[in-house]
Amino acid sequence: MTESYTLTVNEVAYSIVADAQRSLLSVIRGEVGLTGTKEGCDDSECGACMVLVDGRPVNSCSYLAVQAQGRAITTIEGLASGDALHVLQRNMLEEGGVQCGFCTPGMIMSAHALLDQNPDATEEDIRLGLAGNLCRCTGYAGIMKAVVRTAREGLSTDS
Amino acid sequence: MLSVDISKFLRADGPDKVTGSGRYSADISLTGMAHAKFLYAGVASARITTLDTAAAKAIPGVFAVLTQADVPDIRFGSVADRYLFAKDVVRFEGEVVAAVAAVDADTAQRAVDAIVFEYDALPVVNDIEAALEPDAPLVHEDWESYSARRIVMDRNIASQTILTLGDADAALADADLVIEGRYIADASHAAPIEPRGVVAQWEGDKVTIWTSSQVPFQARDGVCETLELPTNRVRIIVPHLGGGFGGKCGFHYEAHIAALARAARRPVRLVFSRREEFLAPDRRREGMIVELTTGLRSDGTIAARKARILLDYGAYSSDATFFPHMAAMHALGPYKIDNVYAESSAVYTNRQPSGSVRAPTAPQACWALETHTDELAAAVGMDPVAFRRLNGVDTGASGVSGQVFDAIGLQECITLATEDVGYGDVLPGDEAIGVAIGWWPSFPGASGAYVKLDSDGKGVIVTGAQECGTGAVMTLPYLVANELGMQPEDFELVYQDTSAAPYDVGATGSQTLLNNGIATIEASYQIASRLREIAASMLEAEADDIVLENGHAHVDGSPDTAIPIARLARRANHTGMLIGKGARIAPPDPKTSISAIGDQGVSSFAGPQFSCHAVRVKLDRDTGVARVLAVSAAHDSGTIVNPIGAAGQVEGGVLMGIGQALTERTEYDDKGRQVNPALLDYKLQTFADAPPISVQFVEVFTPDMGPHGAKAIAEAPNVATAAAISNALGKLVGLPMRELPMTSERVWRAIQAVGS
Repeated sequence: MTESYTLTVNEVAYSIVADAQRSLLSVIRGEVGLTGTKEGCDDSECGACMVLVDGRPVNSCSYLAVQAQGRAITTIEGLASGDALHVLQRNMLEEGGVQCGFCTPGMIMSAHALLDQNPDATEEDIRLGLAGNLCRCTGYAGIMKAVVRTAREGLSTDS
Repeated sequence: MLSVDISKFLRADGPDKVTGSGRYSADISLTGMAHAKFLYAGVASARITTLDTAAAKAIPGVFAVLTQADVPDIRFGSVADRYLFAKDVVRFEGEVVAAVAAVDADTAQRAVDAIVFEYDALPVVNDIEAALEPDAPLVHEDWESYSARRIVMDRNIASQTILTLGDADAALADADLVIEGRYIADASHAAPIEPRGVVAQWEGDKVTIWTSSQVPFQARDGVCETLELPTNRVRIIVPHLGGGFGGKCGFHYEAHIAALARAARRPVRLVFSRREEFLAPDRRREGMIVELTTGLRSDGTIAARKARILLDYGAYSSDATFFPHMAAMHALGPYKIDNVYAESSAVYTNRQPSGSVRAPTAPQACWALETHTDELAAAVGMDPVAFRRLNGVDTGASGVSGQVFDAIGLQECITLATEDVGYGDVLPGDEAIGVAIGWWPSFPGASGAYVKLDSDGKGVIVTGAQECGTGAVMTLPYLVANELGMQPEDFELVYQDTSAAPYDVGATGSQTLLNNGIATIEASYQIASRLREIAASMLEAEADDIVLENGHAHVDGSPDTAIPIARLARRANHTGMLIGKGARIAPPDPKTSISAIGDQGVSSFAGPQFSCHAVRVKLDRDTGVARVLAVSAAHDSGTIVNPIGAAGQVEGGVLMGIGQALTERTEYDDKGRQVNPALLDYKLQTFADAPPISVQFVEVFTPDMGPHGAKAIAEAPNVATAAAISNALGKLVGLPMRELPMTSERVWRAIQAVGS
């Protein structure tokens, strides 16, 4: 059944006409046209599709798009303001947290939500808080350095 | 070392990857694009009786339905043993039977479901030992007709290598002690986080294919071979690649999608689900049975070793014909042994084909050998680290193939890793340290690149090399900038495009920086030489006296009179182009004295890399759950060109090794079908599982190999981790581990066996 509704993604309102069964991931990628959010498993196992819905991390593959009406959706494309990288993005890059980059958008969104909720996150908090985001390249070592550094510098630091 | 600062490696593809603007194959969308779905066999062994696509073709919105009848009748593969689509029979559950292109994915799936596919079930070859029985059903009835140059085949044996050095039987008879062991490793998966995507678009008689490939030139050659096209009409472009680990080596679905796009008369895109990524590609890490017999002298030295290895090859040959040879080298190991015999066979089964996954065959064979090695040390009453020091190879020593090693750092790796992990410290009763050593070759080979410098002094590197995430291609601007006295940011990269760049074998065999780095440096020499000539004429000096640094040229000793390189470039481009071209030509392999029947060319390890991994493991004896608390990994990969990139390879390789050790296992039912093709049931290591990984490099300058004395790096870190964990668990349980992965259930059973 087709539904018409409005989705607000990165502070822009989009008119959507799509089947009511479509996932938020599918609508963000296919209708909104933002492909930074990735599909790794379509089963909430890998975290590559993580977006923020009203600031909370959500596996967008397993969340119906119609449920996101009236909520603020933030994707990886909405993190940086202007041309400068967000501090998390910059630290991921500088600390060797990025290799193939396919898990990176979801990882950054999860880390952002984690530090937003817990600005003083310890390494153990980070291990547990990011356990829903799989990375096959880095052994998580560079990502850990990047998130620890971001916690130290503060999430809202200008990079 | 490099004069440019690479200590803060900022990868050029990084901003694209962290902001979400980076395009991967599944992100590519073309006007009028149709969507592809495959019909898979779904059964491991059967003879096709009906394959009728009429109903599928009649569905509105379906543009094309293809089977083997619609493409050239060509058998391909390293043993030419397969077709693009199943022909007459299916030999594993993920074999592609038909392909559909339709207006959207749902319609394509409905069309797949409408194809009438009927078959008679055939016996399933599901056990590599049973497959060798004289009356076993044959996976390939026609194996004798296959073209298999230099490959020893016999019924279900798809490829076999027999290695002989000295006289192992005589030496075993004379040995003071003979120890035997049998070790069984399950299959596992590369499991890159990106499921693959392929997009094809025809323009006239030329096709462009965007694909998640680690080896774009090989993918191109596969399309050309199976669709009978010349190479210059097939252009393969790899957008960002979301990891591969070998799983995206080889030629996969590029030809299927190109054929669909031609039939549909519009662009077509295929995107795999995670389930398809598990079931279909011919790149599984093979299961293995390793039987080892080692003869020891009373002084603890090794007199002889025999190995018998069976590899679960799966249904088709993929790129795995060399696996028996490589597995044999790893089962014999980086040890000083003068008498060896190995018989190693890849066995056809009705399972997903095996193929290159990061350091193919090495983690399993190393796990078996190094578990066995702790048993050897115990048998002669030696500390296992001391035993490895005594028997492990060193500079000037002769290894198991008679290769005499130039300067190598294995012994230093053992020292660094064991000291770092605290080997010998008193530990709580539920903790132990396990140690293992490993090796892996570098693969010098042909590779090409161009470098050009434009009139504004900015450059472009055009390379055939493929970036799969490691940072190897992203390191090239540093190498070029280093030669030209410029900055890496002065260079952009054109890469992963077979029509733009010269050949490179791809992101396989850890060879990218090793070979393409040499080619790129050679290309920069030509530009540097032109810049020096022009600067010399302007400064009235000899070209040999011109120094390029900080973006300027000056006469050696007179840095105050310097000309900007941009000015030289402008002048050079007025009087002829500033283009450099470089090609890596592989040096000859090191000599060996071993005899090989079914020689697949890996008795000799060029640029051999060595490693020692030491792990501290905690075991819950009530549940069998093991937790790795810390890993110390020391590697001799020659000179380290890019410290951040190299450390990232070790960290990632170690964690993959922990997964192989403890949780990663592909299970099969009695009909040869995978039981757990999902990330919920096939467990990768998560952030919560990841221990601190301490990385140390023994930088042995290695001539004639990679840039600046480097060897390769990306696969070697995946070799020894599972073995080290096995040895820690062996100490904690009191029994050697005999099955890989060492799941909590298996460890618990071993604890019970010791207890009773």
